[in-house]
Amino acid sequence: MLSQFGFILLFIVGAFLMLAGILGMARLLRPDKPNDQKLLSYESGENAEGGSLVSFNIRFYVIALIFVLFEVELVFLFPWSVVFGDKQLIEQTNGLWGWFSMAEMFVFIFILSLGLVYAWAQGHLDWLRPDQKVNPFKSEIPSDLYENINKKYS
Amino acid sequence: MYPILFLSFSGLITLFLGFFQEGKWVKPATILFLAIASISAFIDWNKPGAYFFNMLQVNNFNLLLSLVILITAILIVAISDNFKEIEYAHSAEYYAIMQFSLVGAIMMTNFQSLIMLFLGVEILSVSMYVLTGTDKRNLRGNEAAIKYFLLGAFATGILLFGIAMIYGGVGAFEIDAISGTLASNQAQSLFLYIGLVMLLIGLLFKLAAAPFHFWTPDVYEGAPTIFTLFMATIVKTAVVFALYRILHQSFQNMHLSWSYILAGCIALSLIIGNLSAVKQISFKRMLAFSSISHAGFLLLGLLHVSKTADKSLLFYSVSYLLASTSAFGVLLALKNERTENGRSNENISVFKGLATRSPFLSAVLIISMLSLAGIPLTGGFWSKFYVLTDAANDQFFYLIVLALLLTAVGVYYYFKPIITVFEKSDIQEAITINPIFKIIFVLTTLGTLVLGLFPDLLYGMI
Amino acid sequence: MLQENTALIPDMIKQIPLVNYVLLASILFVIGIVGVLIRRNALIIFMSIELMLNAVNLLLVAFSAYNSDPNGQVFVFFIMAVAAAEVAVGLAIIVMIYRNIRSIDIGLLNKLRG
Repeated sequence: MLSQFGFILLFIVGAFLMLAGILGMARLLRPDKPNDQKLLSYESGENAEGGSLVSFNIRFYVIALIFVLFEVELVFLFPWSVVFGDKQLIEQTNGLWGWFSMAEMFVFIFILSLGLVYAWAQGHLDWLRPDQKVNPFKSEIPSDLYENINKKYS
Repeated sequence: MYPILFLSFSGLITLFLGFFQEGKWVKPATILFLAIASISAFIDWNKPGAYFFNMLQVNNFNLLLSLVILITAILIVAISDNFKEIEYAHSAEYYAIMQFSLVGAIMMTNFQSLIMLFLGVEILSVSMYVLTGTDKRNLRGNEAAIKYFLLGAFATGILLFGIAMIYGGVGAFEIDAISGTLASNQAQSLFLYIGLVMLLIGLLFKLAAAPFHFWTPDVYEGAPTIFTLFMATIVKTAVVFALYRILHQSFQNMHLSWSYILAGCIALSLIIGNLSAVKQISFKRMLAFSSISHAGFLLLGLLHVSKTADKSLLFYSVSYLLASTSAFGVLLALKNERTENGRSNENISVFKGLATRSPFLSAVLIISMLSLAGIPLTGGFWSKFYVLTDAANDQFFYLIVLALLLTAVGVYYYFKPIITVFEKSDIQEAITINPIFKIIFVLTTLGTLVLGLFPDLLYGMI
Repeated sequence: MLQENTALIPDMIKQIPLVNYVLLASILFVIGIVGVLIRRNALIIFMSIELMLNAVNLLLVAFSAYNSDPNGQVFVFFIMAVAAAEVAVGLAIIVMIYRNIRSIDIGLLNKLRG
């Protein structure tokens, strides 16, 4: 007799067999004549421009990396939270346990935040803006002359 | 234990020191921090015990190991010269990462729980991936970094699978628990065998022993020389003593199972390392292959569970550390001599005419080469002698014969740089050496000679 | 061998024997190894390595549950944190290479030859 998990296995195997059967049958029956037009990806009737693999701006990547690191370190908060609220331990130590574990976690987060401060001080968090370039060239023709011409022909 | 805590904080301080006065104080501060860390190791002297809920074990031998690692690190930092060979160097970050990697190395030598072994291996390896790729615009450096990273992470995966399997077989991570389980049961579970083999593969990968060595020459050649030196010395020492703790202090009852694996690795490392080194033109690549053969010798010291294994391994490590530091250091001192496409020439031919240009540097190079080859009157001879004596029992006699034969091959390629030193060169001007380099070279060369003349000074002390 | 302390293991887990977990984890691990060995794209190799690490996590959690010993699960947290650090470094290396050679095919990296 099959166990409960045996049925699930049977179901999965059945699903794969079904899929293979239907796709195989379609393959046998359908005509197979690919051409350039058929292979284009359809975008609302427009022809696709350029490759689909565009590179994102590099600044996203640095911030994403910093995010990943700090996010994953927080996994250590879960085991901590289990012992932090341990009623027995708190009673045994007259509430001192709560303060102790609290302080320990703050030390941990402080060291993590030092890393963030370092990244900040290095300027990795700054959003790179394009510089506003001021043209140093000074024209000898006064600007009101242009304005007059604009007025005349507008 | 105290060096671990201290270096973790001093690394953070070093990072922020880089902001003051354009990082002028970073290098002296790093040396100071490493010196304080070495002294802080003595707080636990003669006070053996376990720390961090039985995760780390401290005894005098482990403290000695931490000291060896820290002192080597001081030598390496002293000849680092603010990383002038690297474009756009962020020296504060490199010094900080070096301190963090030392935390990993010390954890690997002092671990009691396999969790600490894994964390140590990872702290050390991740730091080394970063340091290998520091020369960002150099394609060779890039290639070395990606190779080291992908293969290293792969090895870490295998190592972890081994640890998980051992955990399945024993039900605990402590190496005492493992040896206890092994001693009490006669029939061992399959999990333990799979776990031990996987763990060994992972660590041998990091040690660069054949047949898991194929990343070594590329990574050693591509990485900046100073970090190659770091890899060849500190990483190797840490991994060997991690293996020592696993094989001799927890799996000693399964000696029959692992000694055959180890014997195969030793034979392959000695053959591949020595024979491939013969035809190398690049000095760094030659030293990479020589480091593979030295890995074979270090494993030879592990082969037989004996009371003197730890002594011989420590002696071997120290003499290898001193000789490698001089050899790579001479290459670093010559880095401005000849350049190709803006990178310094690292071929053996760079030593041409060194005998007339700088007798001091050539003496340093010759003594280090002789020590690596294992010629008498240098530390290298006694280290090979002790390791071979330890391994000498009937079971693996052929390995000793093989090791002796291949040492003769080694003499051939270690003499190539020595001969090049005496060749005539067009350039005659003398080479000026930084005084710090001079001090370090005097220390390492004297150390090599003292170990060669009075081996009992170190061997008897341990 | 593990002592299957039946009283402490929750009923849900007990329904599946430990061997199944070990097999599943081993299969995932082997898929990861094969991925590392046959693919040439650095990112896919990277994903395969992550798969290997996660197979180990599964194995550790399974052993930990059957052994009613929390150490294995704590180790999983460490593996997750370390894997994140490794990902950060690895992606940084891959981006650095992409900037230089405009490709992440590791077959193109062949500057180092003996």
